[in-house]
Amino acid sequence: MQTKQIAFDMTVNGNGIMISAQDLVKIYSNKVKAVDKISFEVREGEVFGFLGPNGAGKTTTIKMLTTLASITEGRASVAGYDVRSHPSSVRQSIGVVPQELTADEELKGIENLILSARLHHVPSDVARNRAGDLLRLVDLEGAADRRVKTYSGGMRRRLQMAMGLLHTPKILFMDEPTLGLDIQTRSKMWEYIRKLNRENDLTVFMTTHYLEEADSLCDRVAIIDEGTIKVSGHPGELKEKLGGDILTIEVSSGLDLTSFFQGIQDVSDVSKKDSTYRITLPRTEKALPAIVQGLSQKGIQISNISFTKPTLDQVFLKITGRSMRDEESPAAPPAWIQSA
Amino acid sequence: MAPFGDTIALTGRALRKYFRNPSAIVPGLATAIFYLALFGNSFNPQNLIPSSSSSGGSALQAFGGAPTYITYLTAGVICLILVFNMAFGGIDLVLDRQLGFLNTLLSAPITRASIYFSGVLQNLVKAMILAFLAFGVAFVIPNGLKLPAGFGILNFVGIFAAFALLGIGLSCVFTALALTLRSIDSLVAIVNFVTLPLVFASGALFPSSSFPGWLKEIADVNPITKASEAARLLIVNGTLTGSNFWTFANDLVYLVVFAVVLALLGYMAARNALKAE
Ligand SMILES: Nc1ncnc2c1ncn2[C@@H]1O[C@H](COP(=O)(O)OP(=O)(O)OP(=O)(O)O)[C@@H](O)[C@H]1O
Ligand SMILES: [Mg+2]
Repeated sequence: MQTKQIAFDMTVNGNGIMISAQDLVKIYSNKVKAVDKISFEVREGEVFGFLGPNGAGKTTTIKMLTTLASITEGRASVAGYDVRSHPSSVRQSIGVVPQELTADEELKGIENLILSARLHHVPSDVARNRAGDLLRLVDLEGAADRRVKTYSGGMRRRLQMAMGLLHTPKILFMDEPTLGLDIQTRSKMWEYIRKLNRENDLTVFMTTHYLEEADSLCDRVAIIDEGTIKVSGHPGELKEKLGGDILTIEVSSGLDLTSFFQGIQDVSDVSKKDSTYRITLPRTEKALPAIVQGLSQKGIQISNISFTKPTLDQVFLKITGRSMRDEESPAAPPAWIQSA
Repeated sequence: MAPFGDTIALTGRALRKYFRNPSAIVPGLATAIFYLALFGNSFNPQNLIPSSSSSGGSALQAFGGAPTYITYLTAGVICLILVFNMAFGGIDLVLDRQLGFLNTLLSAPITRASIYFSGVLQNLVKAMILAFLAFGVAFVIPNGLKLPAGFGILNFVGIFAAFALLGIGLSCVFTALALTLRSIDSLVAIVNFVTLPLVFASGALFPSSSFPGWLKEIADVNPITKASEAARLLIVNGTLTGSNFWTFANDLVYLVVFAVVLALLGYMAARNALKAE
């Protein structure tokens, strides 16, 4: 049994696969089938995003992988250990940032970190040093000696993340790490996660409601709904399935510019209505300068220009044929760009 | 030694919270004063049976020769305080589950036993602190606890050993219960249903010799009776000799068995309650 496990470890680590799920099923005691035969793999150093609406089964999947929920059917391994047969080895290899905020309100920020370190058997001098580094990383140095009940929601989320990282896990599970944060704080969180991923080769499994988040952060994404994975791949690929961003340009010119737009690299579709063009772009950032430059060379005035990023809702709509039943997630606002 | 360290770390967290919020101690202490003053006066046989004797001394004969009723009552009231604080101490554990803190423990590389034993220990320490304070209160209130001449530190240790053993057993029961239940409402319902009968079917407040037969039979096996009897023997007599000593030793052995058995049963229940959902 023991030797078999070691052999299993080596093959898994040899492939650099840190998380593997095969036909995972979770049926809760009340007969709710929260997860229905999902399979995926996460490689070492990858940021893997689980994208889905409320009740899709994201938290349930994390709970199974972090040994909190039993696996009804199927097989999962984390850090090379079979989750069902070696839960304590799994626990030793992971950090968990849960969806709910679990830092103790009555304790100070630093005390929460030290407690978390003790529960992961980090020697106390090492813990103090790392706590200092992590507090700096998440910009909580100044608040370390304050009780958590005086923290804002954003500060709590950042502390929670630090608590999940103090013992330098190989794999970090984060359940909606930016839920309820404003845009600035959210992009700060993304920065931390990127930094950790880059510098410490940390493998990240995270769930989110937000496509922008998955887009900016994740190497690979799986869209989950009603307990099944609908599609997975690089965020760019998913966007391409939608055809990309929609750029809307209104010009003050009677000329038909359709072929001009079609001639620009990366433009995948152009439609015209009066003097307004809807242009589908897989990569707006690249195509936009070329479009603006081309138009100004032709001496054509842009009277209005805007673009919409594809939202999770649109990807979801395309894949499932219905709208995301998600009230919490605000639709991504269109970014308005006025021409000079 | 990791499980031991984990238990200490978790207990430390709970106690730090407790001491940081002294408002939690105040109601406990107020209850102690209230019980002693209320029971000490309203149940005082010297008041209840005024005609039985001019001095009231003979009414107290049934109370093991205690010089004042509060002297008789102190051990019982402390048992009562232990029961209630153990029972309601479980609320913190239910909250830990509801707030997700328990999940962070369950996904950490610590033994399930350390979660259970830290629950037992934190409730025990909190309740024992109140037991000490209640003892002090009984001592200072007017017409209160009168210790016999020659009462020494060993007598004091003996009294609190009896309380601690009762406390361990109770803490195990209520910790296991709190880890099993998922709502504060159901915990409070069970606690209310169980605790009062448990206390009144014991010799904590009145000598069980005065009970009707069926009640006496229950009271005689009730660990609360044993703990209050053991503590009271020392409170009233100081150092024990003869049959008093053997009664005390017998009670203590009974309480040790009670504590060990409930610790094991509680552990089994807790392990089941801490299984993955
Ligand atoms: N402990 C439980 N017992 C029974 N059913 C549960 C339990 N936890 C979750 N469920 C059900 O399982 C399904 C999936 O829930 P889950 O929490 O995994 O969704 P989620 O994708 O994390 O949603 P959210 O975005 O709202 O956090 C839901 O239908 C939910 O009601
Ligand atoms: Mg969730």
